[in-house]
Amino acid sequence: MRKINLSGLKKYTIMFILVGLIAVFSLTSPYFFTVRNFTNIITQNTYFIIAAVGLSFVMIGGGIDLSVGWQMSLVGVVTAILMVEYQAPTWLAVTVGLLLGTSLGLFNGLIVTNVRVFPLIVTIATSTVFQGISYIISQSHTYRNYPTEFLFIAKGKVLGVPFDVILAIVVVLFASFVYAKTKYGWNVMALGGNEEAARLAGIKTRAMKTSVYALCGFFVAVATMVMIGKANTTSSAFGPGIEFTILTAAIIGGISFMGGEGNMAALVVGVFVLAVLGNGMQLAGWSTYAQYIVRGIILLGAVAFDEFQKNRKSKRKVKPFGGNKSENQNQLSGAGSASAE
Amino acid sequence: MSDNVILSIRNITKTYPGVTALDDFSMEFQRGEIHALLGENGAGKSTLIKIISGAIEPDGGSIIFEGQEYKSISPAHAKDLGIKVVYQEFNLVESLTVAQNIFLGETEGWLTNHKKIKEESRQIFADINVDIDPSAQVRSLSPAKKQLVEIAKVISTKAKILIMDEPSAPLSASEVETMFRIIAKLKQDGITIIYISHRIEELFLISDRVTVMRDGHFVKTLETAKTNRKELISLMVGREFKEYYPKRTNPPGAVVMEVKNLSGNGDENISFQVRKGEILGVAGLVGSGRTEMVNVLFGSVPKDSGDIYIDGKKVDIHNPDQAMRYGIGLIPEDRKWQGLILNSTVKFNITLAIFNKLARYSLVNSKVMNGIVSKYVDTLKIRTPSVEQRVKNLSGGNQQKVVLAKTLAADTNILIFDEPTRGIDVGTKQEIYNLMNDLVDKGKAIIMVSSEMEELLGMSDRLIVLYEGRFMGEVPKEKFDQRYVIELASGHPG
Repeated sequence: MRKINLSGLKKYTIMFILVGLIAVFSLTSPYFFTVRNFTNIITQNTYFIIAAVGLSFVMIGGGIDLSVGWQMSLVGVVTAILMVEYQAPTWLAVTVGLLLGTSLGLFNGLIVTNVRVFPLIVTIATSTVFQGISYIISQSHTYRNYPTEFLFIAKGKVLGVPFDVILAIVVVLFASFVYAKTKYGWNVMALGGNEEAARLAGIKTRAMKTSVYALCGFFVAVATMVMIGKANTTSSAFGPGIEFTILTAAIIGGISFMGGEGNMAALVVGVFVLAVLGNGMQLAGWSTYAQYIVRGIILLGAVAFDEFQKNRKSKRKVKPFGGNKSENQNQLSGAGSASAE
Repeated sequence: MSDNVILSIRNITKTYPGVTALDDFSMEFQRGEIHALLGENGAGKSTLIKIISGAIEPDGGSIIFEGQEYKSISPAHAKDLGIKVVYQEFNLVESLTVAQNIFLGETEGWLTNHKKIKEESRQIFADINVDIDPSAQVRSLSPAKKQLVEIAKVISTKAKILIMDEPSAPLSASEVETMFRIIAKLKQDGITIIYISHRIEELFLISDRVTVMRDGHFVKTLETAKTNRKELISLMVGREFKEYYPKRTNPPGAVVMEVKNLSGNGDENISFQVRKGEILGVAGLVGSGRTEMVNVLFGSVPKDSGDIYIDGKKVDIHNPDQAMRYGIGLIPEDRKWQGLILNSTVKFNITLAIFNKLARYSLVNSKVMNGIVSKYVDTLKIRTPSVEQRVKNLSGGNQQKVVLAKTLAADTNILIFDEPTRGIDVGTKQEIYNLMNDLVDKGKAIIMVSSEMEELLGMSDRLIVLYEGRFMGEVPKEKFDQRYVIELASGHPG
């Protein structure tokens, strides 16, 4: 019973934090608690949500992808050039963009599974590669003035609801469905929860692992379309940095860094916690740099809470991988502190 | 007779760095039999079943399953063939539910139906008369229940061969009975069962035939009804039982460590004394809290209450560094993670805990250091090409000696051995026992945690028994009896 209470607590903690932040900022600025501001917060964050859902597949599958930002840069530049320089029809440019995003993810996945290097290192390396390709293709130019059909993705409305909001809702519902009801989703959770158990259960873990990166690339490309549409302009500098925002949102939203667990609703709340924080602090007159500090502290807090909860869950510390490692560190730091005396 | 063979192993060889796990190994299994595999740790049983189930690839030889010859098989292929395994170490996904784990990789189509598999899981548990909630997260289960989930996982599928690797290790006596009932039912359905256990008496209760392995070699296949315990043990160890655990002559001395009402890390109210020159054994099933207790004694997990006295003085131990200053050393259960830095050299590992003692003005005196290292390499007979060899290239037994050397180099008097011979081949095991005896003869005190009853009874002067974190009692040498200790360890006070 205690465990259920705790995970419940966690689910609600993040909600409480969001409500608390809204309450505080409503007091600090008269412009905060308005329909207009809330509409802004929602529409400005649709592409973060879509990209975060993509990243969640990799993270729940036990991996990490730090190249998301430069994937967006490269996909954005290619899509924009096709439309602006080559006057390609919107459907073609978007299709190429989505395929490109999926292939970039696939590329990451194939390296992670075949070279068997930590995904952290692999995706830091590939992000540098993507960065180079993006600048070579864009020649450091900025591309603007997209066709109206393309702008519909980011600015159009269906029955009064912004199209990108609908898109984000569809993506979140789709992912929730995958995790709750499909074999694929369960296998991703099994892969992240215990790769060896999944392998021995006959799950094709290498193919699964590759596929989560490809899926991530696809959603990241969808997010890119919304992002460059909203700005109605793009350059190679559009995208990088987003990976840390969505990583923070995912961790705040309770997606374990070690894989195996995650909840799409909490992920969305995680994105909005960051969004409300940024928006509220801006309206209250805080500088961007002060916002960075708060954001970092929140990330640390979320990770610490995650760790704290895990330790509570396993009352006895014996086997878990992490536990053993920290024990080794204890021994080392013990020896170190002794020599200092 | 031979047309009834479902699986034969032909000349399988598998080597790991420093160890030959299986050497030109051949044997046969018949359809519908319960076939036990017997052998010491390191005899190659686990390697054999991993090869049969596709978890690892052999270096050479082949497997013939239902007339078809394979050089090696993948886990997915083994599953398709109907070869299923209940693994010794749990292979469950902790974050998923019991039902999701039972049907992991088993559901048809691309959609899943949690309700349906929960219902089917409930049915499986009802059939085998076990009370587990299918929608509980696996993380919340006890080790015994996890083991039953592992068993449910394989009986949910159509198996032709079912391999059970130490399935009874975490189970209490009544749960073992439940499991035997399940196994008997599976045998009636014509399933071949390969059963591995260290508890020899179990083999007589359940198996039709037994194959004895030693040091990666096939020794003999016997009909269980036509053999006896003594014969099996002598086949298994290759010599008489008595000389296996060498005798000590020196009587134990003064009390060096006393633990009073110690609680923490899931354990409650544990009290015992350890004397100079004796080995105190700690018995209990998996999950009984033995390793947890050891971690509290060594300061790697804080205690909740209770007192520890060293040489009659009350001490406070908050971290491993302090524990070592009081002369307590731990040779941990999982040496690869907790005891060694695998990628570093023998020399680095041996001196790991004494850098600060060797250092003068932050500079390590390499002459002194080399002297210490070669002293321990010699006295413990660590077999390594040089002290600059990386520890990961040594055999399990020699790795264990490096951990021991590290602990001894730190000037420790109370040595805690947690599963000292796990994964170590028989010859080296004997050496480890001899080393332990030398140490107590020289006045060290040893606390030995082990899952191997014979090792505990053979080596210890006294035993304490734990069950689910509780202290069940102390057993003096005169009352050493396997059945009595197992009863205590299953939670039934003598």
